[in-house]
Amino acid sequence: MAELRHSSRHTGQLTAIARLRWQLFLHSLRTTRGTAELISRIFIGFVIAVAGIGGAIGMGVGAWSFVSNQSPQWIALLLWSIFMFWQFFPVMATAFTQSTDSSVFLRFPLSYRAYFLVVVAYGAFDIATALGSLWLLGIWCGVAFADPSLAVWTAFILLTFALVNLILARAIFSWIERWLALRHTREILGIIFFLFVISFQFLGPLIGHFGRTSRPQVTHWGAELSPAQRVLPPGLAAAAMAEFHASPLLSAGYAALLACYGVALLGVLHVRLRAQYRGEDLSEAGARSDSRAMRPSVRRGWKLPGFPVPIAAILEKELLYLSRSGPMLFTLIMPLVMLGVFRVGGSGREAGLLTRAPDFALPTGAAYAVLMLTNLVYNNFGADGAGVQFLFTLPVRFRQVVVAKNLAHAAVLAGELVLVWVTASLLYTPPRLDITIATLAGVLFVLPVNLVAGNFLSLYSPKRIEFSTFGRQRAPQTTILASFAVQICVFGLAAIVLWVVPHQNGYWLASLVLLCLATIALGGYLSSLNHLDRLAHRRQETLIAELCRA
Amino acid sequence: MEAPAIYTENLTRRFGELVAVQEVNLRVAAGEFFGFLGPNGAGKSTTIKMLTGLLAPTSGTIQILGLDLIAHPVEVKRRIGVVPEGMALFGRLTGAEYLNFAGRMYGLDRETAASRAEELLDFMRLADQPRTLITDYSHGMQKKLALAAAVIHGPNVLFLDEPFEGVDAIAAGTLKTMLQRMTERGATIFLTSHVLEIVERLCSHVAIIDRGRLVAQGSLDELRAGVLAQNRDTSDGREQKLTLEQIFLRAVGGAQPAGQELSWLS
Repeated sequence: MAELRHSSRHTGQLTAIARLRWQLFLHSLRTTRGTAELISRIFIGFVIAVAGIGGAIGMGVGAWSFVSNQSPQWIALLLWSIFMFWQFFPVMATAFTQSTDSSVFLRFPLSYRAYFLVVVAYGAFDIATALGSLWLLGIWCGVAFADPSLAVWTAFILLTFALVNLILARAIFSWIERWLALRHTREILGIIFFLFVISFQFLGPLIGHFGRTSRPQVTHWGAELSPAQRVLPPGLAAAAMAEFHASPLLSAGYAALLACYGVALLGVLHVRLRAQYRGEDLSEAGARSDSRAMRPSVRRGWKLPGFPVPIAAILEKELLYLSRSGPMLFTLIMPLVMLGVFRVGGSGREAGLLTRAPDFALPTGAAYAVLMLTNLVYNNFGADGAGVQFLFTLPVRFRQVVVAKNLAHAAVLAGELVLVWVTASLLYTPPRLDITIATLAGVLFVLPVNLVAGNFLSLYSPKRIEFSTFGRQRAPQTTILASFAVQICVFGLAAIVLWVVPHQNGYWLASLVLLCLATIALGGYLSSLNHLDRLAHRRQETLIAELCRA
Repeated sequence: MEAPAIYTENLTRRFGELVAVQEVNLRVAAGEFFGFLGPNGAGKSTTIKMLTGLLAPTSGTIQILGLDLIAHPVEVKRRIGVVPEGMALFGRLTGAEYLNFAGRMYGLDRETAASRAEELLDFMRLADQPRTLITDYSHGMQKKLALAAAVIHGPNVLFLDEPFEGVDAIAAGTLKTMLQRMTERGATIFLTSHVLEIVERLCSHVAIIDRGRLVAQGSLDELRAGVLAQNRDTSDGREQKLTLEQIFLRAVGGAQPAGQELSWLS
């Protein structure tokens, strides 16, 4: 056997990894989707550049203002915002996608030092690092412009601060990576992210509610928290800059403490990476632990009187799927959240939208519920993934499969309408009977139309959904546009009916008109089912190819 | 005369310019354990997809148990079981839920579906993880579950695309035992596999496809006889029993040419 000749130079390996990433990027552009991705990346790149440069200017002006006004300690505010962004953004972005596992390179003869560098380098080129660095540069410019004697010291402090951020981000990420290797923890992180997003919905109303008056207790809390934040990296960095003229020794002490953070974090990162390097198993199989004592017998499936067995089986499967999808369940609570958002506000002119017109709480909630349901309805088979092949091997007509899925969606909507009704009653006022009937009639009209459109679009432009991640779950562009058009038509028509039909004595007549529309829509739905078998047969290859794609 | 379990006539499938399967004529008698072999990209999976109704043929006829697949898809599907490429599992169900679902979709009543699901889980040694979702199963466990779902209704014909790929020796033994019991009961099994030793041990009949065309078909003895007859001129006259691997390599012309080696391994 020939002599094995292998390069021990780290640079060769690092270059190879960099080249690999570049080639992966280039190959990703070969497909139509890849080209669209490039366009979206250019757009995102533009947005990031604007955010980076705009943020840097803002930070610079802020820093200049603080130093000019002899209050350099307030730079801590700017550093804290950068610190939070630098640490939280990558974590939240990870909740969107499957994690990129740098440990795949461990199969190669990579030295620990080279591996450590690869992991840190992975972090050095992410969005958070780019933006954070740019904003720190902005702060440095602001400080140097306001007090040139601080320029060198500030550069040193901000560089140390940047390194601490970079290492901390990698340390956090390496631990998160461990948790993300497991589906359950990935889902939990996704739910935390979702709660984070929901909480933003309340920001506007809350600021409107609390922000108009002076709150002395907020100022008090700020004063209390100030010494505590000073022992953390952003506070230390700000203090090191602020004390430079008054007490250089104290300033150096703060800087040393900041550097100590960096060293300690390097140690934390080293612990994780060393474990990875020595061969750590993060696979799902390792986490598989089921009590062998628990062996309940297989329970019988659901029985739905009046429905064929396959429809009952698929309905059961659909609802089981939904109940196991944290992300999906959380999108379904959005209508209730929105009712809460509209409730938050002051009184009189500052009152929330629905507080001024409580009669519309139920229709608004119901409309939101239908809109949220379109996530499921317009991509009926997305969650089935490779399982869709199984559906085609079954001795059932495909329309039965679709009807069962539609029934599951209708059942979810019915449950959600009950919750919306209860929430509207609790937050506002119990909806009037005529409004309740009109809303139900409206839903009976809107739902079948959406089901028809959803069934056809599900077959024409399917997209695989990973239930365990939030990321890359966007429906195809055609589906989004078609769904948008359908909503404009049906909700527009329902609104016109409510508006035009005389309702001085209640919405009874409007309900009647909406029920007539619902009957027509239901007829259209039933008629559409006759075409589904043929269409499914025609589309099955595309459907399978698209949904079975890993 | 009994209709063949699987019968195709001039079965062809094109993908644009590419002819993936070209005029394949298969005849598999009821009760046969039939191995369908071929190199990578030869057209095995395309053929099995067409035979199970997952892919429409461009032209040709498919009859399963005497029924035309295109004309009577539901009747055919009721009598067959399929483990397709990729296994087609629903990852967010537990194994028990999936088998129960499959049983009911194949027309079993609730009690029968539940009891067979329980029996199959025990047989496949999957019963000790009742709450684990399929997505968290190992590859071998998923293979066993896919096979269990394919047999829960007692099909007359079973189509298996690479059933032993990624399966450990213990699981493979379990699968083989079950498949042999099924053929003893009169079921027909049509499988593709790259593990030629397993095919040789299990299958009574074999067909070999190469670049979309059927290049050999028959019992193992018939194929051996065919290869020996072809090479009579070059053989030294001694009787030798060819292995399936030798038959396969001669059929597809895949033997490594002498002298072709890697420069840095010489």
